Amino acid sequence: MSMNEHTEAIRVDGVSRRYGATRALDEVGLTLERGITGLLGPNGAGKTTLLSILATVNEPDAGRVSVFGLDPCDGAERVEIRRRLGYLPQELGYHRHFTVAAFLDYVAILKEITDRRRRAEEVARVLAAIGLERYARKRIRALSGGMRQRLGIAQALLGNPDLLVLDEPTAGLDPEQRLRFRELLSDLPGDPVIVLSTHQADDIAAICPNVIVLLEGQVRFAGSPSGLAAAAGGQVWSADDRDHRAHLSWRGGDGRWRHVGDRPPADAELVAPTVEDGYLMLSHAAGVR
Amino acid sequence: MTSPSPGAAGPAGGSGGHAADDLLASYAGGAVDGVLAWSVEAHLTACAQCRSNLSAHVDSERLARNRSALLVRAAIGDGGRAHRLLRCCGVPDYLLRLLAATPSLRRSWLLSVMGVLAVVAGEAAAVGYGWIPGGGPAGPAGYPAPAVLAPFLLVAPLLVLAGVAAAFLPMFEPAYWLAVAAPFSGVRLLLVRAVSALTAALVPAVCAAFVLPGPGWLPAALLLPSLALCAFALAAATFVDPSAAAVIAGALWALPAALLLAATDVPLAIVQWHSQSACAAVLIASAVVLFVRRDRFQLGWMR
Repeated sequence: MSMNEHTEAIRVDGVSRRYGATRALDEVGLTLERGITGLLGPNGAGKTTLLSILATVNEPDAGRVSVFGLDPCDGAERVEIRRRLGYLPQELGYHRHFTVAAFLDYVAILKEITDRRRRAEEVARVLAAIGLERYARKRIRALSGGMRQRLGIAQALLGNPDLLVLDEPTAGLDPEQRLRFRELLSDLPGDPVIVLSTHQADDIAAICPNVIVLLEGQVRFAGSPSGLAAAAGGQVWSADDRDHRAHLSWRGGDGRWRHVGDRPPADAELVAPTVEDGYLMLSHAAGVR
Repeated sequence: MTSPSPGAAGPAGGSGGHAADDLLASYAGGAVDGVLAWSVEAHLTACAQCRSNLSAHVDSERLARNRSALLVRAAIGDGGRAHRLLRCCGVPDYLLRLLAATPSLRRSWLLSVMGVLAVVAGEAAAVGYGWIPGGGPAGPAGYPAPAVLAPFLLVAPLLVLAGVAAAFLPMFEPAYWLAVAAPFSGVRLLLVRAVSALTAALVPAVCAAFVLPGPGWLPAALLLPSLALCAFALAAATFVDPSAAAVIAGALWALPAALLLAATDVPLAIVQWHSQSACAAVLIASAVVLFVRRDRFQLGWMR
């Protein structure tokens, strides 16, 4: 492993992708380091397209991608990337007649774990990691949505991947499962590169040292969650009444209004911005509603 | 391993007829082989104290891992009688698991195929042998009326094509994106599934052809059109959408086949030598295209 791999595991240079007349990605450039990177953006911002390109299942129309120094456009190097990859697509389908264990066994084979004993050990390991041991014999059609999502996360962990690409992994998880998921990612051995997309700004704030905001196919922010929150510095205030100068206002549990906008009144009671506030300000500045 | 072996009554190396401590430690660590291991096991079944001593040497983490792996293997199952039989024939276990995800190899699909074949072949046999009236004017000597065999000859290769299409079309693989993002060779996966589905559909089609009235070579003559049709669909899928490729292949078979079957002056033209030669040419050309364009399957399984 080169030094470069430690500092820059993935490089995306000027990547564009169109679907007909729709431009999903517009000259996206970014670098990802080892650790967890959160991808934040509204629906249709290009998150899934970007993740599918990183997972080698989609190709850019223009630009270059390098994953651990390997080129996904080269056949042999693409296979090498896939050997180090764990991927959770946004809409993962399941063989509903399979049991949980049989499905994981199937995915383990696709990941080239062909030895029967090793496969069983690997399946047992990820089942334990995700807390699904009790459901190993259960048919997938009998699982709840949240359990299926956990099964999706479990399959991505097979083979201890070096790169985890997770498209909305916390969708459908209840609060406790989301906390367990955070714990799981934090405890993964080997310091893998983890890229996850989410609509949950609190997930980003809780576990991602790096965050990227993607709006209309372009990277609008890349940095730390605190840096994203700082983008709304001095632009979040609290008041007893609704302030129509704010871009967005909502009444909190304490009955007071929280306002986010770039023109707070002079006597405004400013409050500390959150990651969500920073994201809202960026979205508003980009004209995304 | 220098420790003395325990006898059924007790190991010579231990005190009071029990297994020596270092022998139990080696056994727990998996370092005892063959006859000595069997001997230890025979003693352990009869000696509670040695079983208790053995537990002190067992790595509990490893034990838990093994237990979990065993439970997983039990949950996965062995795939039933058919899988056991195929394993005995040397088919690797992991290939059988891949095939279990192929819809056209599931019991319900195969039963449906057999049901359709039974209807069209049964009707042809009943009319051909005069059990029920129908079939139109008789064909040349030795041949039944074309209308008798037409439904079977038209449908059998299409059933084979449908089985193969279900084995490779992304719409029949719910975990398609996982299969694409996995390092397992897309070409290999495709061929394993397609060939298995082809075999599973061809066997009942050819068997059904044996009950039909007409020339004895009819079952064998069904093979080439079926193979050519499937190979054409796979090759076409490297150029166009896979679903479109399957539909085009089906249409290219159904239209000329219907016309040829309607030609009463050439009995069973669809399976005569000139049609067979055309099918052989299509098969070879499709195989060449598949080989040359195999990268299309490698990039994504199917694009």
